[in-house]
Amino acid sequence: MTVLEAAHTSLGGFLAQVTPIQAPEIDYAAILPMLIVLGAACVGVLFEAFLPRYQRWSWQVALTLLTLVGAGLALVVYLRDNPQQGVVTLAGVLSVDRPALFLWGTLLVLAFGAVLLIADRSVEPGGAFVSHAAVRPGTIQDRAQAARLGMQTEVFPLTLFALGGMMVFCASNNLLTMFIALEVLSLPLYLMCGLARRRRLLSQEAAVKYFLLGAFASAFFLYGVALLYGYANSVRLRDIAEAAAGTNRSDTLLYAGLGLLVVGLLFKASVGPFHAWTPDVYQGAPTPVTAFMAACTKVAAFGGILRVLTGAFQATSWEWRGVLWGVAIVSMIIGAVLGLTQTDIKRMIAYSSVAHAGFLLVGSIALTGEGLSGTLFYLLAYGFTTVAAFGVVSLVRTADGEATHLSQWAGLAKRSPLVAGVFTFLLLALAGIPLTSGFIGKFVVFSAALKDGMAPLVVVALLASAVAAFFYLRVVVLMYFSEPSPEGPTVSVPGSFTMVAITLGTVITFVLGVWPAFVLDWAGAGGFAFSTT
Amino acid sequence: MLDPYVPLVLMFVLATAFSAVSVLVAPLIGPRRYNRAKLDSYECGIEPSPQPIVGGGRTPVAYYLTAMLFILFDIEMVFLYPFAVTADALGLFGLVEIALFIATVGFAYAYVWRRGGLDWN
Amino acid sequence: MTPTYYLLLSALLFTIGAVGVLIRRNAIVVFMCVELMLNAVNLTLVTFARINGGLDGQVMAFFVMVVAAAEVVVGLAIIMSIFRTRRSASVDDSNLLKY
Repeated sequence: MTVLEAAHTSLGGFLAQVTPIQAPEIDYAAILPMLIVLGAACVGVLFEAFLPRYQRWSWQVALTLLTLVGAGLALVVYLRDNPQQGVVTLAGVLSVDRPALFLWGTLLVLAFGAVLLIADRSVEPGGAFVSHAAVRPGTIQDRAQAARLGMQTEVFPLTLFALGGMMVFCASNNLLTMFIALEVLSLPLYLMCGLARRRRLLSQEAAVKYFLLGAFASAFFLYGVALLYGYANSVRLRDIAEAAAGTNRSDTLLYAGLGLLVVGLLFKASVGPFHAWTPDVYQGAPTPVTAFMAACTKVAAFGGILRVLTGAFQATSWEWRGVLWGVAIVSMIIGAVLGLTQTDIKRMIAYSSVAHAGFLLVGSIALTGEGLSGTLFYLLAYGFTTVAAFGVVSLVRTADGEATHLSQWAGLAKRSPLVAGVFTFLLLALAGIPLTSGFIGKFVVFSAALKDGMAPLVVVALLASAVAAFFYLRVVVLMYFSEPSPEGPTVSVPGSFTMVAITLGTVITFVLGVWPAFVLDWAGAGGFAFSTT
Repeated sequence: MLDPYVPLVLMFVLATAFSAVSVLVAPLIGPRRYNRAKLDSYECGIEPSPQPIVGGGRTPVAYYLTAMLFILFDIEMVFLYPFAVTADALGLFGLVEIALFIATVGFAYAYVWRRGGLDWN
Repeated sequence: MTPTYYLLLSALLFTIGAVGVLIRRNAIVVFMCVELMLNAVNLTLVTFARINGGLDGQVMAFFVMVVAAAEVVVGLAIIMSIFRTRRSASVDDSNLLKY
């Protein structure tokens, strides 16, 4: 017997009987897509550490795209074995149910488009990202780095980490896991916002604003979690729901907790009065990152909102629904009205995203099967349209970079009819004109809300859509019926990456507009699963 | 009968041996480089006075970088304490989990190390 | 000494932090106020762990501490990069993006 063994046995005797802790059961097949994404992110970090600078870009792009394809395949393969009612795994922390699988699929495909935009190096020579983030903007070294062809390839692992966080976030049944996932998805995004190659000061400013406001919102979210923990002695959604159903516990804790929690979630989803960061960050961040953020963060955040509201607060919905009605109305009005006054194309799309967040919230608070499937469909449709729209925005450029001021877009149809045509189609989809996915999305969400007795809200939503349609059409008119200025922007010929991303987004926007049934079926395939039983 | 105290004694012996070895062996195998900083009183790695002249009395930026890295890697270790307390009960599963956790921290460390985050100059 | 006092204290600290974020002008100080809010939450968590008689709250406090540290690193890096350009960490000076 060695000394260590002797020590071990005697220690065992000293501590009396050690009762082994049961390891939680893990359904690896169910969480494989998530594991692939997070594992590849770690591999990406190792690539950054050990590959020479000139090889990094190609390796990272290959790794990231392969990861997304691999995770997607794992998801498709798993879909066949997945039981209708879903699987709750990892000691009840994650639930891989139909909505979670739908959101995962959506996130993976949207991230694929966004990564293509991020990886593109032909539109902006060298890519949209700074080659040395540590160089001070405005110095001689900075002009040298702007001309250099490399980029900070850390963007790729950061994207994967953010994506992994999003996947955990919308599948998590436990508020603590949700908080960790929220940070895992936010922290990389804060950094990615500050990495633009051109207009670096603007980009860094966007990063500071996003970071400070984001950290502020997570603190609210966390305080909500703490109060709910005090209320229910657990942070599981199901336990909170059970505690809320008929006890004499303090309602103050429950509603204060719910309020703070929802504020944090609404902030991430950039819903109206909590949208203040959205326009600034959308404008300042590099356009591919804006595309990723606008599409994927919204999907993850609304996935989280749907799950929390359904899982923990369905029984108390009469108490909080009125407040969220108000929030949805404010969001739609802010988005539609302030969008009218914008002169920058990226800010305009940002305000449009605030309005869309309001529409999505209308579907989310319906808490019915139709509300769930409608919101999921809307998220998918909106995500693709947005990725393609930002892809087009990155094409219209002057010598100083992207031409985002609306006046520079005047007469674009005469310079490049194809780009103007695609952008018009995407704007019509955002406005919700028939034959686009935006129309179907609005239709299913609003009809779900009508069935659930929210007619006044739907009327407001329709009015807001009409107002919002006006500012989309204004851009269309500007592109087709104005004379181009002589020193106006040129439209870059997109490289294959950007081309694929824009085509993907546009085609799906069109297909979902004329043939939405199969995706609607998939979105309505099943409800959330919250407990192992 | 005295069984419960055996690990304590063992721990004591180990601690004494470790400190003795560190103190005695370091001068034998380490390089000898004397400079003024080594003779100063120890103050978390910066010279307490005078303030550095370079950069107008500011502490060099490398100091903040090191401090940030220290906080990050230091705080990760908070998870090792709960693991150590329940290592027996957790069994093999816990060991694998904590090894995976340390490996991910190790990836971050490899990145920092290879990209020169630990070089002072 | 009832644990309720600790809850009141943590609510107070959280409020001080939240007000600080809203009224302070230096990005570093704003950030410190956010950290104060997170630590107020930690106090709430351990107090509730005590009241409810479980350990979950204490474990959660560990997670919050680690997340807060990661946030510090990311945040300081971002604030430092803009400070090097502007020579100022005032959030009022960051005014290129508006309307």
